[in-house]
Amino acid sequence: MSALLQIDNLKVAVGAKPVLNGVTLAVRLGEVHAIMGPNGSGKSTLAHVLAGRPGYTLTAGSVTFEGRDLLGLAPEERARAGVFLGFQYPVEIPGVNNVYLLKAAFNAVRKHRGLPEVDAFEFLGLVREKMKFMRMDESFLGRAVNEGFSGGEKKRNEILQMLILEPKLAILDETDSGLDIDALKIVAQGVNSLRGPERSIVLVTHYQRMLDYIVPDYVHVLVNGRIAKSGDRTLALELERRGYEWVSEEAA
Amino acid sequence: MSTALATRIAAEYAAAAAKLPARVVSAVRRELAVKTLCAQGLPATRDENWKYANLRALERVRFAPQSAQPAEAAPETPVSAAALPAPIEGYARQTFIDGVFAPQLSSAAHHEAAESAPQGERGRSSDARFALLNDAFANDAARLRIAAGAERASCVEVLFVARSEAASAASYPRLDVKVSAGACLNLIERHVSVASDANFVNAAVEIDVASGARMTHFRVQELGARATWIDTLSATVGADGSYQQHLVHLGALSARSTVHVRLAGERSAARLHALAAAAAHQTHDAYALIEHAAPHTVSEQVFRGIAAGRARVGFNGKVSVCAGAPGADSRQSLRGLLAGPEAEIDVRPQLEIHTDDVRCSHGATAGKLDEAVLFYLLSRGLDPDTAQQLLKWAFLADVVAKIDIPDLKRSIERALAGRIDVAADLKELL
Repeated sequence: MSALLQIDNLKVAVGAKPVLNGVTLAVRLGEVHAIMGPNGSGKSTLAHVLAGRPGYTLTAGSVTFEGRDLLGLAPEERARAGVFLGFQYPVEIPGVNNVYLLKAAFNAVRKHRGLPEVDAFEFLGLVREKMKFMRMDESFLGRAVNEGFSGGEKKRNEILQMLILEPKLAILDETDSGLDIDALKIVAQGVNSLRGPERSIVLVTHYQRMLDYIVPDYVHVLVNGRIAKSGDRTLALELERRGYEWVSEEAA
Repeated sequence: MSTALATRIAAEYAAAAAKLPARVVSAVRRELAVKTLCAQGLPATRDENWKYANLRALERVRFAPQSAQPAEAAPETPVSAAALPAPIEGYARQTFIDGVFAPQLSSAAHHEAAESAPQGERGRSSDARFALLNDAFANDAARLRIAAGAERASCVEVLFVARSEAASAASYPRLDVKVSAGACLNLIERHVSVASDANFVNAAVEIDVASGARMTHFRVQELGARATWIDTLSATVGADGSYQQHLVHLGALSARSTVHVRLAGERSAARLHALAAAAAHQTHDAYALIEHAAPHTVSEQVFRGIAAGRARVGFNGKVSVCAGAPGADSRQSLRGLLAGPEAEIDVRPQLEIHTDDVRCSHGATAGKLDEAVLFYLLSRGLDPDTAQQLLKWAFLADVVAKIDIPDLKRSIERALAGRIDVAADLKELL
């Protein structure tokens, strides 16, 4: 079976500074991959490059999504094709209502798939159901996107968007950072509810804590912009015990 | 001001004087205004508070209003009701064409009171010199006297229609409002063009909000594409009174507002919510001064300006707290959005405080749409055009949402949509 996401020898620089130095990774449908690594190893860059954030220079390599060149697509085209990035720092957008952003995003994806737009009433029902699942307060509906949200609320909001958009590939960038244990469980429950043979999940994380709740099929360690080691979930436990240094040394 | 301009103003006044009604402004006061103007000169762009105003058009203006020129000077184009903005539900309308009351286009009677005592020297600052030009040439005035004792707020719309081409005649809207103690007024003041889109409009507004009175003032400038608009407003607010102004600049090639609100009575409050949306070669400039002159006074200035194309938007918001105004509370939020590579924005907050006991917060920013926010919207599947339009609406939302007259708000939203290249239905996304 061919991979949903195929990254080959990806090299990326920010300005003159190389950040990714040849990442190769294949993610097949239904799989959950965790990408771990010390600070500055390039984890977040990889997540952003996949989502199409401007400001990065591709110096070598390729990325395909469902066999298409992903890097040739604009960010909104990637989103409509089914790529979702859960932000480490979701932005606040004063003046833009949460539920309307959700609806605009939902309908953009549906339009791309050739499906009719959903009316406001039906959509609100869907949002309420998912919000209940994420244990979010009804008052959230009338608020501006992430404005005045706590760190935990912002992360829950990211997962809520993911549940509504039902992407094929969800890339979650440090979704566990800043969450207390209760919020982490709710977020994990949201992510696990989307697990299935029709989609793949890439978790970018510094700590193995989240992997207790979202058990990955594969764990990769990114060091100096390269995958230095891959394994199953026991690798994450070993990292927890031994830290990152030995992987760096092994790689060198 | 060039000598040539002063000489021309004086000469035009002399020729028109006989036809300028004394019930609007007495001859003595008119002559004094001309004399003062010639001595002081009109503001020029080298003046600190006027550097963003476009005053070049003055050189080509014929200053006398049409009604004070020989009858054969220019044929009058009749104005039909259909050419005017739709009426606002619940608001009685007074229409003035080139400054003169037009009963056939009005649903409310004209209040022909005697000339009010000039606030002039006391109420007007040196930035109010264009009001002197209005004093000299004003051919009529809208006078509103809101008596105390009414159960409900009075709702009035004053529609100033500019018809003459600047080269043949100027237009002098004049508005004089007194809200008596405890009374309440909601006033819509609109400025539109008909027949010509190249008018010269010089408005003068004086407002007196007595103690315990409330006034909400919606001011919408939507003149034609080549018009020049200069506006001078001074307001005084008595104890426990409140004055709230919503200033919306949409039209004209060049528009300048000078607003001076004096909080004269204890616990009085003033709020100014201003919005400018300039595109192409437009210039929208405003200077707003709120003066805290009594204890425990409250003021707020909120400005949101968008400059697209090669437009220039300036907002100079000044708050001055006098020594005799302890306990003053002042808030300022001024923001400009650059929506074109050659556009220009200048927002300037100024605080002048002469007492220790004050609470002031102010913030001013000018810049482009935030790239991180744009990327967030794109990453959710919105196309770049929609995302940008959405963020422009969101930027203006603070100020637009406060215009709580549905008919007026809709009409402003439609006009905004055309000016800053956003789809009106997108505001549904806010």
